[in-house]
Amino acid sequence: MRILKLKKADLYRFLEVIYKEADIWAPQKKGDKFVFDRVDDFSKIELQTTRTIIPPKKIMVPPMFNMFDFNEAGYKEDFSHISKKILFGIHPCDIHGLLTLDKLFIQEYPDPYYMGAREKTLILGLSCWPDEHCFCKSTRTNIIEEGYDLFFTDLDEFFLVWIGSSQGDDLVKLAPDKFDENLSDKDIQAYIRWQNDKEKAFKTEIDFVTMPDLMELKYKAPFWQEAGDACLACGSCSMVCPTCNCYNVADKTFLGGKPGKRIRTWDSCTLPEYSEVAGGENFREDKSDRLKLWYTHKLQAYVSKYGKPSCVGCGRCIATCPVGINVKTIARALEGEEVDAFWKKMSREVTK
Amino acid sequence: MPDNKLKIGIYELTGCAGDALLIIDCEEELVNIFKAANIEAFLMAKSDNNDEVELDVALVEGSVSTEKELEELRKIRKRSKALIAIGICAGLGGMQSYFLDDKDWAKNLKAVYGGVEMIHAKALPSKPIGDFVKVDYFLPGCPIGKEQFLSTFARLLAGNPPELFRFPVCVECKWHENDCLLNKNILCLGPLTAAGCGSVCVNHNLPCVGCWGPSEEANRTAEYKLLLEKGYDPALIKNKMANFSGTSITQFFARLKGETK
Repeated sequence: MRILKLKKADLYRFLEVIYKEADIWAPQKKGDKFVFDRVDDFSKIELQTTRTIIPPKKIMVPPMFNMFDFNEAGYKEDFSHISKKILFGIHPCDIHGLLTLDKLFIQEYPDPYYMGAREKTLILGLSCWPDEHCFCKSTRTNIIEEGYDLFFTDLDEFFLVWIGSSQGDDLVKLAPDKFDENLSDKDIQAYIRWQNDKEKAFKTEIDFVTMPDLMELKYKAPFWQEAGDACLACGSCSMVCPTCNCYNVADKTFLGGKPGKRIRTWDSCTLPEYSEVAGGENFREDKSDRLKLWYTHKLQAYVSKYGKPSCVGCGRCIATCPVGINVKTIARALEGEEVDAFWKKMSREVTK
Repeated sequence: MPDNKLKIGIYELTGCAGDALLIIDCEEELVNIFKAANIEAFLMAKSDNNDEVELDVALVEGSVSTEKELEELRKIRKRSKALIAIGICAGLGGMQSYFLDDKDWAKNLKAVYGGVEMIHAKALPSKPIGDFVKVDYFLPGCPIGKEQFLSTFARLLAGNPPELFRFPVCVECKWHENDCLLNKNILCLGPLTAAGCGSVCVNHNLPCVGCWGPSEEANRTAEYKLLLEKGYDPALIKNKMANFSGTSITQFFARLKGETK
């Protein structure tokens, strides 16, 4: 692995060169939030962002897409969402999110829709600074060791650029004059200082080591019912989670002899239809049962299979759930703490 | 000439005729609709309507608000294999039926019409059609959506039931990567409202007003209390919630009343 230095002013020049290779997707503004979008204008790339509304999983498997067209004669697969892309500005937590999805989408039953897009997307990571919702230090996803082609660490004066793959190296070779191999001691000191400062900047910490046991010990704790009563069953927590991967499929037919389409959409285990079987029976009729499933998966089941939680600490559930049901409040409740969230206030009103 | 095409009738009871109009508005697909099925009755589109023939599917818009409509509805049900309520008025009763008990209704009728005798039909408290006959499916929306209508129509022709959206607008809203308006303290009914519209309002930065009616698991208590906490006036929240909920809101309001007593 090589680490190079790139002048701040040379970033856009480098992007201009590699833009000829593939479309660049990067964080851009949408209202006062950020979204990954195709770059038409480099000045619109946001370098100082925290999380985007939806994680970059949307590039690998769009929220809604056509899997194939069909008629009486057969079917024709539709891979039109797959194209060569360069994903720039993706943070360590989201790279870990993709590594988690790799396990779920590639290992047991390889998913050609995910794999095709994943293989064609170059990952150009970018360092970030935690806000009040970030807790990737607790999930140990603040540091990235694999899963990128290039990684840019922003040290104010310049970028340090890690080369993580031969494809990343090929990109650098397109503009070799922009990169400097000679790092001074001062540069290295600047990096160490930055890393130490970042470690101290986290405001939210969660002890994930105790979570699998607490999920077991607190499985019947009353707070689950309270959270379930407040849950709007809106599915947003799953939509914004970088590791939620469930989907639904439905056939759409058309008039006038046009071929049908098999439409695949993001789904969530917090929605009532998810656990319903033929005949209308539902294994998890109560919202609290569905919340338990969601959190069991993130904090316990995934740990026992892969040795770490499937939460990457991005803070999107904290920023998104309108009634404050998220990894932080649930973790605090599991730890037995007083939780200051709407779902707590609502339960007090209900029981009054 | 006999053929094996489905026989379909489209009927309008009390409502704004917006759902029938939407079907007419499916311009480029209209020919396909009329080609694929025998449209036996559709007052807005044709004058040679057959009101006696046995139907495979009846689509009924509007609520029941006169004895004549009730009689008509019962006849439609009797000669149809499947009956689909289209739009909020047919499925839930619409604005004309929400949260009126029969005593209030009699008082209101008198206040509005005075002593005028209705000679063509005796008025009834407006109710969703499901209060009188069996409804097999309900296509929500005020009015119904083109895409959902056309795909339902195509599924019916293939002998399949409609594929309905059972989750709230929020799911589609996140698919479109919108920032949550509730989190910006804007009164948005997305979490209470059935999806299918493609979150079109929020995509244009407008809050959801609930025009597709309540979603299967609408958590009205949580949304109501959340909006109260955000400082909204209880009467305003209730009005917004009631607009497209028809008679389905009655129970919730009764419970609220019980809680505040």
